[in-house]
Amino acid sequence: MNEMRERPNLNLARINEIIAHYQDQKWGLIPLLQKIQEEFGYIPPESTQPIAKALGLFPTQVQGVISFYTQLYTKPQGEKVVRVCRGTACHVRGGKTILKLVKQHLGIEEGETTPDYEYTLETVACIGVCALAPNIVIGTNTHGRMNPKKVAQLLGSRKDAEQHARP
Amino acid sequence: METITITLNGREVSGHPGMTILDLAQESGVDIPTLCHDPHLPPVGACRVCLVEDEHSGALLASCVTPIAPGMVISTQSPRVQERRETIIKLMLASHPDSCAVCDKGNRCQLRKIASDMGIGLVEFQRIPQLATVEEVNPFIERDLSKCILCAKCIRACQELVVEGAIDYIHRGFISKPATLNDLPLEKSECTFCGTCVALCPTGALTEKEKTYRGTTTTIVHTICPFCGCGCGICLEMKDNHLVRAKPDEDSSLNHGTLCVKGSYGYDFVHSPERLTNPMIKVNGSLEAVSWERALGLVADEFKRIKETYGPSSLAVFGSSKCTNEENYLLQRFARCVLGTNNIDNGSRLYSSASRIGLRETIGFPGTTNFLDDIEQSQTILVIGANPTSSAPLVGYAIKRAVRHRGAKLLLIDPQQTKLASWAHLWLRPKVGTDVALINGMAKVIIDEDLLDREYVARKINGFEVLTTGLRRYTLDYVAEITGVLGQDIRHAARLFAEPSRASIVYGNGMTQYVNGMGSVIALANLAMLTGNIGHKGGGIYALQRESNGQGACDMGALPDFLPGYLGLGEGQARKNFEDRWECYLPVDIGLTALEMIDQAREGKIKGMYIVGENPVLSFPQLTLIGQTLASLDFLVVQDMFLTETAKLATVVFPAASFAEKEGTFTNFEGRVQKLRKAFEPTGDSLPDWDIILKLASRMNYPMTYSSPQQAMDEVEEVVAMYQGNGYTDVEIKSQHRAEFDSSPLATGNIRKRQFPNGFGRFSSVEYIPQRENSGDEYPFTLLAGTTLYQFGTGSRSSRASRLRKFSSEAFVEISKPDAKSLGINHGDKVKVVSSIDEVTAAAKVSDAVSQGIIFMPMSFPESPINRLFGIVLDPRTKTPVLKTCSVRLERTGNHE
Repeated sequence: MNEMRERPNLNLARINEIIAHYQDQKWGLIPLLQKIQEEFGYIPPESTQPIAKALGLFPTQVQGVISFYTQLYTKPQGEKVVRVCRGTACHVRGGKTILKLVKQHLGIEEGETTPDYEYTLETVACIGVCALAPNIVIGTNTHGRMNPKKVAQLLGSRKDAEQHARP
Repeated sequence: METITITLNGREVSGHPGMTILDLAQESGVDIPTLCHDPHLPPVGACRVCLVEDEHSGALLASCVTPIAPGMVISTQSPRVQERRETIIKLMLASHPDSCAVCDKGNRCQLRKIASDMGIGLVEFQRIPQLATVEEVNPFIERDLSKCILCAKCIRACQELVVEGAIDYIHRGFISKPATLNDLPLEKSECTFCGTCVALCPTGALTEKEKTYRGTTTTIVHTICPFCGCGCGICLEMKDNHLVRAKPDEDSSLNHGTLCVKGSYGYDFVHSPERLTNPMIKVNGSLEAVSWERALGLVADEFKRIKETYGPSSLAVFGSSKCTNEENYLLQRFARCVLGTNNIDNGSRLYSSASRIGLRETIGFPGTTNFLDDIEQSQTILVIGANPTSSAPLVGYAIKRAVRHRGAKLLLIDPQQTKLASWAHLWLRPKVGTDVALINGMAKVIIDEDLLDREYVARKINGFEVLTTGLRRYTLDYVAEITGVLGQDIRHAARLFAEPSRASIVYGNGMTQYVNGMGSVIALANLAMLTGNIGHKGGGIYALQRESNGQGACDMGALPDFLPGYLGLGEGQARKNFEDRWECYLPVDIGLTALEMIDQAREGKIKGMYIVGENPVLSFPQLTLIGQTLASLDFLVVQDMFLTETAKLATVVFPAASFAEKEGTFTNFEGRVQKLRKAFEPTGDSLPDWDIILKLASRMNYPMTYSSPQQAMDEVEEVVAMYQGNGYTDVEIKSQHRAEFDSSPLATGNIRKRQFPNGFGRFSSVEYIPQRENSGDEYPFTLLAGTTLYQFGTGSRSSRASRLRKFSSEAFVEISKPDAKSLGINHGDKVKVVSSIDEVTAAAKVSDAVSQGIIFMPMSFPESPINRLFGIVLDPRTKTPVLKTCSVRLERTGNHE
């Protein structure tokens, strides 16, 4: 019993197309979920039932897989995901303060999305460029040697944040 | 067979290839603690408590998933094993609340038991507080996930045994837990409250809710569930002569550790305050408690008087398909020898006569041809006219297991969207009452496309010519026109059924409660015989029985036209044998069937009736008339546990003991004879039905000298060929034999070995007989009557089971969205359902499960007895009344408050 109300603008037809493409593949569940997320930015809960039916699984099993992986989202994400590194190197170089500032600028907590669906805030354990610590990633761009000023530049007036980011 | 020898704790032991270390240890009497292991579930090795040490390699192995290998040297108690096991248990305890003193699981908790066996007291690890609470309003299951140890037994039970899939793990790491879809409470999920998970849960995470009696179990009684014809083994846990709980009997080779909601939570009617505790006699219109002496005396005198004044055929006996074999055997002997009439019938007349007669005419055997387990070997399963997920849940589980785990294809034929619809490979929705045409159409495709088992048909079955001639007109076009199913779908269905070598048929009351229900059964038998699917592994016919002993009551001869074992009244030698044995003269004329008794009573020809354990005032059609007729009898005796609607009309009421208060046997729908055991003494002055019958016979100067049901069954074994070798005292051993299938002394004869009892099967051609047309505008809807999972029969027991009643107490009428809209009916509105006979009210349930023009109503709700709507229309051959469908109209009477 799915208590979720269907979003009127949700493209269920497209979801069904994706499902149809993967339904005969062995071990198709995870690639299928990734594909839906790639297109929709998240996995709409409405898709759980059709996925389960097509793959011969129980909806609870599909839910189990989705909830197991943190990379799979069940809520719409912001257009850009801001990932603040809280690895050891970033931590000792003030990563915690950077996170606090990012929260202030975006007005959201970790795991949340801005009401305009522009940004989603996450933290990551390490992104592997410790030499540039503290780091943050916005979308696919990595920004190193962060300081309060750079945070303000990147996220201060959010609309033009990206252009400041480009060297 | 090859054996593998290993050294276990310094001792050499041998096992078979494929056995795990745990299997072998258990077989050798070596105890290894487990938490996530259960013999009914595939092992997963999740809890690691069953660790053992391989002394060669020093490896610690989870014994439940490690197969034995030659030369292994295993220690189950080495210091390393002990230490690791202790750590694992301590870690579990560190995140488990210290609420043992108040936990309902108490001493039954396996975690606590293992901890205490290992001497683990307070745990030095830092505790992880578990704050999980689940608000649940269902009356069956309480979940306290703070006590969950993540053994996944509940999840595996739900997905692999009952195949409901209501729960699985959600999230991971510390916050992972078993959850329903969207983590909703159970009652908002797919959960059917079968209780299998509760029985398996090793801790107090899943416990039974709203128990009627609390206490530590002192005795456990293995017996048989009294509800549907599946005959699941249950364990009644007792204290102070009270049922504390019922659990699946793990040793039952039938239900494999599962039950349904009725089996798990529907038994407390036995302690209902409404139980009758005294015989009663009607004085000035009201029933008064009297002694057994007086009640029996009055009945004996009255029966004698009526018999002497009007002749024996003015008396009639209606026995119960809920009573034991022994009771039915004694009752038919009472009717024939004491009353001197063949006017004896039983409750299964209402639902299974078509099976009994139809199958007997074709395959020569009056019931199911296979064991339920076989169905999991089927490649195709045809389910027609049956909703096993509610009427025979155990069969539903087996079908779903076959589909999910064995790749079987489900071919569902049902106008209504039952729960199995989502499991179907192909689902056909024929017009109501057109099954014969559809099945004939499939048979014709099978013959035309040469998909039949030619060799089997030629060697084993007579009448192929008759069949082909009879099928000539059932072309796809013709059948499509009648049934409304597309020709290509009919062809697809025929191929789906006939192409694989193993196909089974499951059918239920949707077939048998029609006019010409017998025709449908014969058509199905033709289909099975054509494709060679009789009595071989994965191929057979499963005729579902509504009640626990529907099969047995007939086998015992509680029928107007047959002596025990289906020996005809006209068979001279058989008659003589019974006459010699029973020292009485047996009446010759065929007696009256149930509804004919009513008919004759209306005409004043039947003066007195003895009704045992049945409630015709709710279970027969045209209830108002039935009530009036029974009330007008000179003398009516009703024997029941409760003051049912029928008992209220009686002159004398005998209080009967429940299934848990007596001994005897039930024959389930497969033909398995299973033993009922007494769990506590009969309530008040009530007596087991067999005892009452014996006492009454004595009072009528015909003492039947049986000191116990066992003695009656001993005699049954001698006189009923089908029950020979069913030795009462070792029923358990015999049922094991039967489970092993081949070498079995079967109640069900040779049919299981693809041998027809008469040597040959026989094709008969059956014609589709059009139903009366819908009576135009006045009654535009077709009513389908059926079962609901949470109630049973006429509801006389299930409505007195407190939790079932609480969960599902109100009758409903399912109506399609378009129809609801055009009639202005909203979900929950009170609706009046009116037929040409009578009317009932129920709450509307707007749903997609029924097509436009069709409404569905469950029986089993005494407040909305839908049988009232049906007129008395009998199948001419089987005399089964139509109780499945009639024409009705709907009227809205009030808004949902």
